[in-house]
Amino acid sequence: MSLSTYTTTSGFLLPSIHSAPPFFTEQPNPTTQATATAQWSRLILAYARHKKLFILRVEDVETSGSDWDEILRNTRINRKILPGYLSNIMEAMVAQNLAVYEPVKQTRSVLVYWRLPEEWAEVLYDWVISTGQLNTILTFYDITDPPLESLLTGIPISLLRKAISILSKTGRSQTIAIADGEGVRFLARSK
Amino acid sequence: MRRGVGLAAFDRQEQSKRSFAALSSELSRAQIDDLHSQLAHFRTALAHFATTHRESIKNDPTFRHAFQQMCASIGVDPLAGPRKGGWWAELLGLGDWQYELGVQVVDVCVSTREQNGGLIALSELLRFVSKLRGVSGGEITEEDIVRSIKTLHPLGTGYQIVEVDGRKMVRSIVKSLDDDQTTILVIAQEGGGRVVEDQLIRRKGWTRDRARAALENMLLRDGLCWLDEQDERSGRSYWVFSAMQWDV
Repeated sequence: MSLSTYTTTSGFLLPSIHSAPPFFTEQPNPTTQATATAQWSRLILAYARHKKLFILRVEDVETSGSDWDEILRNTRINRKILPGYLSNIMEAMVAQNLAVYEPVKQTRSVLVYWRLPEEWAEVLYDWVISTGQLNTILTFYDITDPPLESLLTGIPISLLRKAISILSKTGRSQTIAIADGEGVRFLARSK
Repeated sequence: MRRGVGLAAFDRQEQSKRSFAALSSELSRAQIDDLHSQLAHFRTALAHFATTHRESIKNDPTFRHAFQQMCASIGVDPLAGPRKGGWWAELLGLGDWQYELGVQVVDVCVSTREQNGGLIALSELLRFVSKLRGVSGGEITEEDIVRSIKTLHPLGTGYQIVEVDGRKMVRSIVKSLDDDQTTILVIAQEGGGRVVEDQLIRRKGWTRDRARAALENMLLRDGLCWLDEQDERSGRSYWVFSAMQWDV
């Protein structure tokens, strides 16, 4: 039996370690486990980026049919990552700022940072400029669900808020109360 | 005036091309000469540095550390070079010094293996090596040991530095497998990396305790294998990564 990379139906290239049965078990040897955690974090981030997934839940491995099935399970070798293990990996990712618990004050679901909030802030600002919406008041909905699909389509509101607040620190955004909730206005970069 | 149409235009063009070529080769020759003189200058300065400071570099760990940091910050590896050891290393005699230390590291690792199973704390290794070198060898630091182990790398000795609970340790286990581990490795290689207790009991006549102890040691003590708790047949199997076939 040899271990090789595998391309999933969604076109994601799984690393060869994903076809190694022990990859799905938490390792009692801390050195070995550190390697495994690093591999899993990298895999989760790469897959999230590939499929534009933001939220990873422990439940995603408890029931099949989730968006994450292609990496959390390997049906070719009949293995899946166990919920307790996934939860520990999520904890490690949070500790390294590769993810945050979302919502806060629980540990069963995380928002994965395949782009850091700082990077999202730049993506957001670039989108505003390229769509000519500087100085326009936008609702959050205008950003998360624009008529023309963008990189920001489907971005969770909490992450969007972070990006907006990062931009506000450099005077590039302003949150405004509008009739039906909150809006935001983006401003030209001050010289 | 009409220009560049008649036959004479070809000549004119040819001539200007020739002039430009001459000019450009003259310019690049000047640049090369300049570089040569700079390089010669650098070599002289370096040789001077080496002769003045060779002894300090070899004997004074603080000076050596500063020197190595300087090398790192300007992107120069004092051991690298086209020739054996490199001309920089030859000038300083640092290459020989480093390799000598490497040999001493190997000496200590091999001679303490029976006691420690091929895993030794870096501080302990330093203590042994210092003892081996005697007072005349000059003081050495953990950093020097780490560097020496790196210079051993091209030899494929399998020496590596691992961190166990924040404590740096040097492992030379790859070459120091005991009989039970060798047996396990062989079985693992036959099964694509997978080993279970029952195989060892059935095929090698081991007791369950022996099989379990050997496997758990490889898993927990040596980090030589990984655990699979979802094994369909035995529930708990061990996978020796080095015995698995990886298509990269």
